[in-house]
Amino acid sequence: MSDSPVVRARNLGKTFGKGSDRVEALRGIDLDIESGEFVSLIGPSGCGKSTLLRLIGDLVPASSGELTVNGKSPQQARLDRDYGIVFQKATLLDWRTVTKNVELPLEIMDEEARSERAASMLDLVQLSDFAKHYPWQLSGGMQQRVAIARALAFEPSLLLMDEPFGALDEMTRELMQQEVLRLWQQTHTTVVFVTHSIPEAVFLSTRVIVMSARPGRITDRIETQLPYPRTVDTRESAAYYDKITEVRESLRRGDRQ
Amino acid sequence: MSSRWRRVLSFIVVTFVLIAIWEGYKLIWLQMGWIRPVRPDNTTMPHVWDMIIELFRPVRRGGDLLILDLAARSFFTLREAFLGFVIGGIFGFALSVLFVRSTLLERSFMPYVVASQTIPIIAIAPMVVVWGGRLDFPQWLSVAVISAYLTFFPVAINTLRGLKSPDPTALELMRSYAAKPREVLWKLQVPSALPYIFTALKVSATASVIGALIGELPAGFGDGLGRALLTFSQQFGARSVKLYATVIVTALVGVIFVTVVTLVERKTLAAGSRDFEVELMTGRATG
Repeated sequence: MSDSPVVRARNLGKTFGKGSDRVEALRGIDLDIESGEFVSLIGPSGCGKSTLLRLIGDLVPASSGELTVNGKSPQQARLDRDYGIVFQKATLLDWRTVTKNVELPLEIMDEEARSERAASMLDLVQLSDFAKHYPWQLSGGMQQRVAIARALAFEPSLLLMDEPFGALDEMTRELMQQEVLRLWQQTHTTVVFVTHSIPEAVFLSTRVIVMSARPGRITDRIETQLPYPRTVDTRESAAYYDKITEVRESLRRGDRQ
Repeated sequence: MSSRWRRVLSFIVVTFVLIAIWEGYKLIWLQMGWIRPVRPDNTTMPHVWDMIIELFRPVRRGGDLLILDLAARSFFTLREAFLGFVIGGIFGFALSVLFVRSTLLERSFMPYVVASQTIPIIAIAPMVVVWGGRLDFPQWLSVAVISAYLTFFPVAINTLRGLKSPDPTALELMRSYAAKPREVLWKLQVPSALPYIFTALKVSATASVIGALIGELPAGFGDGLGRALLTFSQQFGARSVKLYATVIVTALVGVIFVTVVTLVERKTLAAGSRDFEVELMTGRATG
């Protein structure tokens, strides 16, 4: 399995609506994501980055082209519970405690030793002290950490993240980025991360996929080449700023094309 | 002062204000000789204390006290109402689950569900009693069915709204887990719908009492509150206090029923107890 890419797209397309309401959200997407990569999808709104993530997760069907996840159809990968997903909204069930929220996928998948698993996941996201709290008692950043713990609870090989820190303030956001990198390195999960923040994409990713709108397409692929572990020092390094500039210019070029 | 005592106190204050308005109207209108909108004589508007005193007089010469008679009738009617409430609640819930699963079913059956509620219950009640008789239903079951006819509707409408209330993202989350429809229903949709369901159950609780009262009449039941209301309204000119006393007791029955529902609601919606163990539900149809 390590030979074949985790995500493989060939000439992938997605169209919403019919007739005059037809919107071509994605056209001609070719993309390979290898095991262990941290890939960000970045682009202006309407470039289809979230749609691409949803195609990978089989939350919407593709209109044309080929797409495999772990060498299988996206549907089969979803049924095999190959991926965990985190949305911009934490989407916790407010009648469940933090622990019970993390246990939700384990219950549905009929897994054993749920409370132990939930406890170790909460340990991983450093929320053990809040295990018995309810979602409304937590800050936005803490809620999102619960959502991440929930997505990783069943140890999926792939983690899909759809602008997960978009609703958080800048300080919390930077802490969460640090956190997600630590989790990625501890769990060896492949991550596909949708964002509209250039610094966020550069700081987190091994590779940044630059996209453009009307129709949504990939216009550039940029290796960040910054060494891990990335820290506060990384954010202040010249190489980091250079990469940010490179991605920004690439986005501008893509927009003019 | 605790909030519970404050609630009790405010209830008592309101009760006395209402009594004062009633008696004040009587007093002023009699003094001034006004007869519009209502002439406040002791038949149309008896004194509140006369209604209370009437409760402690025998129903008829040598009979039970009115309050004991009405208590027995209340119990009888409440039993039919409760059965109707349960039948209607289950039927309404089942309908809403069908409708949330299939938009086609919802579109094709919803007009009939709505239409059913525009037919007056007094037209439906005799039919149910006659059909029930043909099917050898015991009469109390026919009355419960009439009551259920009134109670299923609020449950169906509100539960459907509640089942549709979860965020689309929550549904996508369940899809990402490859959750079965049964699991989506019991782990996401039903817990989300509970506040809506309880609102409906409070409406249904009062409606079930009305349904039972009206159902008793064509069924020819002499043991419930329905018969007492009918008899005393026919005797209104002679002894109106009896009807007023019975009306008060009937209202109390409804209030007690709603209060019980509210207590159950408070227990159920208390944080943490809204979960449903799907394991207990195995054997149910999985979609």
